[in-house]
Amino acid sequence: MTDTTSRFGKPARIFQPSAAQPAPIKSTGAYAWLRQNLFSSALNTIVTIAIVAFLATIIPPMFNWLFLDSNLSGSTQADCTGDGACWVFIKVWLQPLLYGSYPDGQIWRINLCLLLLFVTLAAPFWLPHRMRNKVDIAMLLVLPFVAIVILDGRLLGLEYVSTDYWGGFALNLFLASASIILGMPLGFLWALGRRSQMPMARSICVILIEFFRGTPVLALFFMGSVMLPLFFPEGTTVDKLLRVWIVLTLFMAGYMAEVYRGGFQAIPQGQYEAAASIGLSFWQTTLLVILPQVIKVSMPNILATAVMLFKNTTFLMIIGVFEVLSTAQNALTNSNWLGGFSTEAYLFVGIVYWICCFSMSSVASYIERKLDTSHRS
Amino acid sequence: MTTEQIASAADSSEEHIITIHNLNKWYGDFHVLKDVNLKVKKGERIVVCGPSGSGKSTMIRCINHLEEFQRGTMFVNGIEMIDDVKNIEAIRKNVGMVFQHFNLFPHLTILENLTIGPIWVQKKPKDEAEAIAMKYLERVKIANQALKYPGQLSGGQQQRVAVARSLCMSPEIMLFDEPTSALDPEMVKEVLDVMVELAEEGMTMLCVTHEMGFAKKVADRVIFMDGGEIVEENTPNEFFDNPQTDRLQLFLSQVLQH
Repeated sequence: MTDTTSRFGKPARIFQPSAAQPAPIKSTGAYAWLRQNLFSSALNTIVTIAIVAFLATIIPPMFNWLFLDSNLSGSTQADCTGDGACWVFIKVWLQPLLYGSYPDGQIWRINLCLLLLFVTLAAPFWLPHRMRNKVDIAMLLVLPFVAIVILDGRLLGLEYVSTDYWGGFALNLFLASASIILGMPLGFLWALGRRSQMPMARSICVILIEFFRGTPVLALFFMGSVMLPLFFPEGTTVDKLLRVWIVLTLFMAGYMAEVYRGGFQAIPQGQYEAAASIGLSFWQTTLLVILPQVIKVSMPNILATAVMLFKNTTFLMIIGVFEVLSTAQNALTNSNWLGGFSTEAYLFVGIVYWICCFSMSSVASYIERKLDTSHRS
Repeated sequence: MTTEQIASAADSSEEHIITIHNLNKWYGDFHVLKDVNLKVKKGERIVVCGPSGSGKSTMIRCINHLEEFQRGTMFVNGIEMIDDVKNIEAIRKNVGMVFQHFNLFPHLTILENLTIGPIWVQKKPKDEAEAIAMKYLERVKIANQALKYPGQLSGGQQQRVAVARSLCMSPEIMLFDEPTSALDPEMVKEVLDVMVELAEEGMTMLCVTHEMGFAKKVADRVIFMDGGEIVEENTPNEFFDNPQTDRLQLFLSQVLQH
C-alpha cells in the first residue's frame, strides 16, 4: 500500500488516526462524581449535609420498628409484646389478604391461574421466534376466559366456587390483568374509529372515548353496580364481578384509545405511502406496519395507564368487592385483632402493590428496549 | 365514455403502458396540475425535472394513486384509474415506487421489509418470498445486511433496500420520487448505479430527479414541468443542448451552472 499513487500522479500520503488519550484524573472516578453531583456549589453542599442528617435521624428508628423490635412468632394478638411492628397480624391474615375467602383446599386453582399469567407473559422468551407474536397474543386474549373457567370450576367438574368467595390481592390481579388484556385491543379499535373517515363510526368512537375518559372510575363503578342492572331484562342477574370487569375494560379502552392516538400522530405519512405503494390493504397496513410502531412509541404511556388501572382496582372496596384493601379493613375490625395494626396492614398492601407495579415497569422497559430498532444509541 | 373512446383507450393502452389525458388536480383552490398529457411506452425511461412546486412529484404520485386527481383520465397497464379500491390495488401491484425519504419500515429487518409485500399481497410462501428478497438484495449489493434494521444502515444503503423492496413485487413500472435528494453526496452514486442497472434491463421508469448526469445517460425522454404544466419534452441531447423555451433555458442555466 505504501507505493499507492493517487489519480493526481503523486504518491498518496497514508492517513493514520492518532491514538486516543486518557481523560484527566479529575473528570473520572468516585472523587469527580462526588464533586460534580453532591458538592458542586455551596448550596449543593448544604443540601447534601441536610439530607444526610435527616436520613440519619429517621432511618434507625424505622429500621428498629420494622425489623429489630418486630414480632414474628405466635398466632394471636397477645404474642405481639415488643415495641415494633406486629408481623404476626400479617402472618395470620395472609391467606385472606392474598386469596380472599376462596376455599382452603382449592387455592391451587388461583395459583395455577397466576402461573398461567406468568407463563404467558414470559412466552416471548421461550417460544420459537417465528410463532412468537401470533401465539403470545392469542394466549393473552384467551387467558382471562381460561382463568374464569378454572376459578369457577363448574365446566371442569371441579368444586363450584361462586364469585362471592373470590377476593384478596388475587382478585385485584385478576380484574386488572383481564381488563388490561381486553381493553388494549378494544382501545385500538376505538382509536382507529376516531381516525376513520366514516362519520358514524367516528362519532360513536369519540363519544365512547370521551365518556369513559371523562368520568371518574368510581362513578363508573357505581353506574356499573347500580345503573347497569336497570338495562337488563327483569329477573336476569348479572354477576357483580362481571359488571365490574366490563366497566374496567371500557375504562381502560377509553384511556388506551387516547394513548394510541398520540402514537398514531408520531407515525410519518411516508409509512402509509410506502405500505400503499407495495399494495398492502388497509388492515394489512394497520396491523403489520402501523400498529407495531404505534405500540413502540406509546409504550411508556401504555405502562402508565396499565399501572393506573391496576391501582384503581382498590376503589372496588367502596362498592363492596372483597379485594385486598377491603380484606385488610375487614381484618382490622376483627374483634380478636382490635388494637391498631393499620400501619402494618397498609404497609403490607402498599409493598405488595409496589412489587407488582415495579415488575410491570421493569417488563415494560425491557419490551421498550426490545422494540427499539432505531439504533440511535 | 362512448364506445369509440373506450376502443381508442384500449388501443392506446396496448401501445402505451401509461396514458395520462388532460390530468387536472387542485389542492383546495390551488391548481397544481393543469391539463397534463403524457404517454409512456413500455420500457421507456423518462426523467421529469423542474423547479420545486412545479407539480412533478404530484404527477408521478397520481400514477399509483397516492394523490387523487379531480379531472382527466389515466390508464396504467390497461387499467383505468378510477376511485375504486379494486382498480387502485390492481394498478399498485404493477407499479413500484421509491421515495425521497426511503420510507422503510423501521420495526422490520431488511429482509422482512422486502418479504412483507410478497407474503401478504402476493400470498407467496415465506421461503419463496425470502429467496426472492435475497436475490434482489444481492443485486443491490447489500445481501450481507439482510438481518439488520433500517436504522443501522446508511442513507444510500437504505435507498437501495427501498429499490429492492419495490422490485420484489415484480412491477412493470418503477416510479422514483427524488430518490437521491435526501442523500449525502458520497452516497448518491451507489443509488444511481442501481437505477442505471435497472434502466439497462429494460424497466419502464419515471424518475423525478435533479441528477442531470443521470438524465443524460439513461433517459429516453426528459420532461420539464413548471407551474403544473409540461412545458417541454425532448430527447436528452436536444433537451440539454437545444432548449426551446426561455423557461427551460433559465432553469438549465441555474441547474448546470456549477
